[in-house]
Amino acid sequence: MEELPPTYVILNDLCRRAGISAVCRPVNEFGVFACQSKKCYHGDKKSSFAPADASVFNVRQDVILFQPILRKLVNEANGTFLSVQAFVSSNEPDKAELLQLSLQYRSIIRACLENLQDEIMRTKGAEREELQNFVTVFYSVECIWHLCEILFIDSPAGNIVLPHLLEWIRFHFPKYERKAANLLSGELISLESHPDYWETVIGSLLQGRIEVVRALLRLHSSSSTDAFKLADQSLKALPLYSIYAGVSITEFNLRWKHWLIDTQAKIDAKMFVTERNVDLIMRLVVGEETAWSEVQHQCEAWYELLAAWLLYTEPAIKSFELGQFAKRCISRMGVRDHMKHLDRVLLAAMEMDILQVIKEIQHLTENGWFVTHLTDLLYHAGRLDTLDEEQPGDLLAGRLRESFLLDYGTLLMGHNSLWQVGLTYLDNCPTDGLNTIELLLPRIQLKSWQVGLTYLDNCPTDGLNTIELLLPRIQLKSEARIQKIIREAEAGKRDLLQVVQSICKVQGVISLKRGRLGNALTWALKSQDPNFTSFLADKYLREYSAKGELINTDLLDNLGSCMLASDKLIFLGKYCEFHKIYQSGDYKEAAALLVSLISSRITPSYFWVTLLTDAIPLLECDKMVLSSSDTFTLLHFLEEKSTLPELSDKIDLIRLALARNLGRALTYEAQIVQ
Amino acid sequence: MFEVQEINAEHKDLIHDVAYDFYGQRMATCSSDQYVKVWDQNNDGKWSLSSSWKAHSGSVWKVTWAHPEFGQVLATCSFDRTAAVWEEIVGENPGPGERGTRYWVRRTNLVDSRTSVTDVKFGPKTQGLILATCSADGIIRIYEAPDVMNLSQWTLQHEVQCKPSCSCLSWNPSFSKIHPPMLAVGCDDTSAATGGKVFIYEFSENSRRWTKIETISSITEPVHDLAFSPNLGRSYHVLAIATKDVRILNLTPVNDNNSIQSGITKLDVQTAAQFEDHLSTVWRVCWNITGTILASSGDDGYVRMFKMNYINSWKSVAALKAGLPTPPISQTARYIKLGAISQPREVPWH
Repeated sequence: MEELPPTYVILNDLCRRAGISAVCRPVNEFGVFACQSKKCYHGDKKSSFAPADASVFNVRQDVILFQPILRKLVNEANGTFLSVQAFVSSNEPDKAELLQLSLQYRSIIRACLENLQDEIMRTKGAEREELQNFVTVFYSVECIWHLCEILFIDSPAGNIVLPHLLEWIRFHFPKYERKAANLLSGELISLESHPDYWETVIGSLLQGRIEVVRALLRLHSSSSTDAFKLADQSLKALPLYSIYAGVSITEFNLRWKHWLIDTQAKIDAKMFVTERNVDLIMRLVVGEETAWSEVQHQCEAWYELLAAWLLYTEPAIKSFELGQFAKRCISRMGVRDHMKHLDRVLLAAMEMDILQVIKEIQHLTENGWFVTHLTDLLYHAGRLDTLDEEQPGDLLAGRLRESFLLDYGTLLMGHNSLWQVGLTYLDNCPTDGLNTIELLLPRIQLKSWQVGLTYLDNCPTDGLNTIELLLPRIQLKSEARIQKIIREAEAGKRDLLQVVQSICKVQGVISLKRGRLGNALTWALKSQDPNFTSFLADKYLREYSAKGELINTDLLDNLGSCMLASDKLIFLGKYCEFHKIYQSGDYKEAAALLVSLISSRITPSYFWVTLLTDAIPLLECDKMVLSSSDTFTLLHFLEEKSTLPELSDKIDLIRLALARNLGRALTYEAQIVQ
Repeated sequence: MFEVQEINAEHKDLIHDVAYDFYGQRMATCSSDQYVKVWDQNNDGKWSLSSSWKAHSGSVWKVTWAHPEFGQVLATCSFDRTAAVWEEIVGENPGPGERGTRYWVRRTNLVDSRTSVTDVKFGPKTQGLILATCSADGIIRIYEAPDVMNLSQWTLQHEVQCKPSCSCLSWNPSFSKIHPPMLAVGCDDTSAATGGKVFIYEFSENSRRWTKIETISSITEPVHDLAFSPNLGRSYHVLAIATKDVRILNLTPVNDNNSIQSGITKLDVQTAAQFEDHLSTVWRVCWNITGTILASSGDDGYVRMFKMNYINSWKSVAALKAGLPTPPISQTARYIKLGAISQPREVPWH
């Protein structure tokens, strides 16, 4: 039977009585409200709940990664994630390098744990409890990651995993190490009278710290007795496998068997019986069942026992054999029926069932941080290839990795200042990434600006779908923030032209509504929307013909080639230029421009009056600036537009000016011909 | 785990619809009390009422935002047989900061329907500013504002006779230019004898008409809501349907000779998932922005969430229900953790 999904309760009486409905809220939330659907043909009456106190509930995932204390974890892991991507895109996957990166991830977790521990010291009450919760979560994460690193990423030569397993255990069960250190640094005389003495000796033995065991035994007051001396010799001779020792597995096995027979013979000869504890130690190292039953209560977890047991019974164990021994240890410890979540994950890992591990670690409450990074690493280490072998052609491994990246990236995109981090994950989604970004990026609320623009070059061209969806959602609250989003959209290979244009258009519309024409025009030009630009140019011209004043002249004077966005804007730009030239006193030039504007036929109908009126001072100028043919042109257009009602009170004046100038020009031109 | 923030919407009756703007920073609500209210969230996360006005003379069924490229624009539809387009105006005297006095004006009243208008949706912005409505008498109407800078002019572009009692419609939000504009319409007519209840229409550029290209014959129960999933560059469309259960359909355009010659897309319809988790009528379906999660609301009083995993199979991942409140919760910007029942674990998404 499939497990039921978890159910969460909204505490509201109206919702309880009427039922609830949900709508989505950008980016990662839902709005829930009391709702009873009714049919329109039932007539339109008040509902049985009226008058009601209707509320809307914004429901969102509780994301611990957004806690300030975990911010470092998110950002640093992102750095490592990007190193992984950069590394695999430039090199053949190399085990040593991936191992290094895995270690980097783990040190990030450890640093985070340390941080949390420090913080716990400083806080009290509910907050402290919460922090302790985080510690538990990330402790499990580290523990699982370490084991996965040993089994799936490092996969040591000849699959000899025991030295690594012991290291793992020593790190996670530091109790005996600490005790031993205490003993050795304290009063050394009659050390055995210390209550923890034998427990520490055995504990150290279980973790394979033979040197510590020997050191402690030497400090026993009867260490000069035969039993102690003999035990010390035997322990010293115990062969421990190390890849660096240059000993082959077979040779090691041979040596170990020899040592076993030798030590067993000494035990059988009752050489240690005088010292009960020494006898126990020797019986442990040869793997005697009864002895192990006696000490297994000293192990906190089944995997602690597993490592110890393997050290003295199967020192050359191969990683793929771990599963069966793990199960044996679990039943030995009698914990089979109360396995915790961590136990299940570790068992799955030891059984080399990567898919099960991935499935289980999603249940850890760290919002997908762990599963995303680990799956990505395993993917690049080629450990997910088995998925593809089962169903060739489907590229399941890649899809599995991508589905986590998408979720994690989208989650971060929902945060005010982590959205840029989120982008980098979406960039690495080969199929849906860009679209998602396109959806989300324009929706980001722009409130603050801290995250640096760094890693933008590793986005695969076709991974942009998600980006496309997300990018537009970023809300634009400040200009700087908008520029940043635009840069992100244009960045690298994303090239989200549509998104950029849309964002600019939205800004233009907002500026327009607030009456800031200059801003609106700037945005409109960036959005390359000819209709919108025309509309704004039109607004400028109407404003001028109504008030006789040109605004934002510095912007209009410097339009340059942007002017070409629309006819209206060309007209506006040229008209501004006319004003500028006129003001500088170069009437000849101004007149030429005016004539070309008039004859260009792009003048909006409401602007003719202004344009023709502008001609009057030029016609009446002391120095003649308009030739007879220019005057004829003007006259021609004046007659063509003479029916315009708003021209009626000016037309005589203009005609007079034209006539006078024509007279002047004809006389002058005649003289020149002569 | 989930957490929740309560906003008292101050409506005098049940809310029929809530719509968030493009950024999720503004919220419009509508209710049987004939009012529409707009809420703004400030930088501290607190919501405040920005505007409230009596929008119709009957229950307001749906409210929806246009893309911000067109300004701050809402559309509503009502039992009073009209649909309306509203625009927010920033007053003459802008106050300190960015906020001036703001109010909403009715830009147009669309009075073509002779029965209750049951749904209203703005089309994808690539099509310009267009609006689709459907009404109880079974007519789909497509309106267009030819000049997007002048929202008081709307022309009725198309009138398509569908089956009686249309209850819901959804635009296909596909980005791809190869997909012509597409609409899905659902009917809540209770008689199974009238056949399929979901119809897919497509706009043909050649004939400049909306043509019905598919009737989903597998759904004969009344349909209360439907929604296309945001298309992340997929070659097929995903449509979620609220009927007696939750249905998720994959619609794949088939490019055979027939469809190329006629210019009418043929669809291959596959049921991707069918969930009977509600054990009762489903009223509403809704996708998250990226189309990875589907939320459905049913008569059982639950909101259920579904997610697709990497091998394309759908799974129920979480549920929300309402319970009796212990102490009354004051309206704050804070989110309060939601208690979970059944298992206190995080939602397994896969």
